[in-house]
Amino acid sequence: MPPRHHYNVYGIGIDSDTPLALPRQTHAALCHVQCRRAPASTFARTVKDTPGDELPSDSWYRYAALRDGSTYVRWNKVGEFLVTADGRRVDCRRERLSSAESFQVYLLGQALSFALVKQRFEPLHATSVVVNGQAIAFLGGSAFGKSTLAACFLSAGYSLLTDDLLIVHESSGRVLAYPGPPRIKLFPAVATRLLGTRRGVEMNAGTSKLIVALDESRSCGSPVPLRRIYCLAVPRDACRQQGIGIQSLSPREAFVELIRGAFNRRLAGPKRLEQQFGIMARLSELVPVKRLVHPRAMTRLQEVRQRVLEDLAH
Amino acid sequence: MSVSFSDRVRVAPDVLFRLVGDEGVLVNLNTEVYLGLNPVGSRMWSVLNSATSVQAAYEALLQEYEVDPQQLRADIEQFISQLLGQKLIESAPAA
Repeated sequence: MPPRHHYNVYGIGIDSDTPLALPRQTHAALCHVQCRRAPASTFARTVKDTPGDELPSDSWYRYAALRDGSTYVRWNKVGEFLVTADGRRVDCRRERLSSAESFQVYLLGQALSFALVKQRFEPLHATSVVVNGQAIAFLGGSAFGKSTLAACFLSAGYSLLTDDLLIVHESSGRVLAYPGPPRIKLFPAVATRLLGTRRGVEMNAGTSKLIVALDESRSCGSPVPLRRIYCLAVPRDACRQQGIGIQSLSPREAFVELIRGAFNRRLAGPKRLEQQFGIMARLSELVPVKRLVHPRAMTRLQEVRQRVLEDLAH
Repeated sequence: MSVSFSDRVRVAPDVLFRLVGDEGVLVNLNTEVYLGLNPVGSRMWSVLNSATSVQAAYEALLQEYEVDPQQLRADIEQFISQLLGQKLIESAPAA
């Protein structure tokens, strides 16, 4: 059955046989990915002959690179996904205990990142907000404080462009950043303090983080030029940090940070590395990248936001 | 790991190099090693890989930089040794 639902997220056209909490497709897409439901038997059959050491059965996360170039990923109690070698289709199955919101976070984040890399995009592990019509991105791994910092901007009336996965694309000599799903993942205390709400859906059983939906006043649905990327410090360094500092990076240093900030670090091999090398080197030349260090304290967040805004004014 | 100054060096297969600003970045697609070079390292890389021999590169760099000849020789030896160790260049008899 052909997909009945057509959406646009990260600038990508998503054609799905099930409804998703995404904006409808209204403009041209950078590429297309088809998402379709598949029964458990499809996945069982696919991974049956895969070497066991790639698929530890008791882990929360299971991954396998299959012989035909496709990729299998599963998050226990959330769902499983099969991404074709060309990245044009994702077969998916939601597990019974998973909420639709939680399942879509994994489908439109981790699973989709495999499809995007295979279609020659390089998603960044970044959360982005819009300031004066331009995107600024906070780059960093899990638990680096990307979403919390973005929420601090939302509390001051700025809008979210994307949370966690950022797609950028060069067009006519400028770099555009594309909007992700209109939601942000936050711990309840952060959501309460910065967004004034505890309303959200639990992300998964292993974390208390909530998926908080954002309305149009708090999210940006159009691509905007990428103004600057701020690399956040690793949590253990940030915890020791007393002051707030912003330091420019040379293109070489920026390149290293961008490589480190790849959203999908699973797919490897010469073809991926060559793609990543070219895209990140180009991006390091086109967009200023800075290192942002700040104390990991909620009470200092407004000060951090102010320093970033002052930095943008220069 | 060392190389004779009468030999030449060339970028190893499956190694990509690119200048970003006045600095350089490298990746070896086989070993998945990334490397960044500062402006001087980037210049040394470019001269070494285009010269007919290490000796020719040494002479070109001696003209270009105000540096003690012995120091430059030692720097080149160390640079080449590191690059060979990371399988980023290969040596061959001079053309």
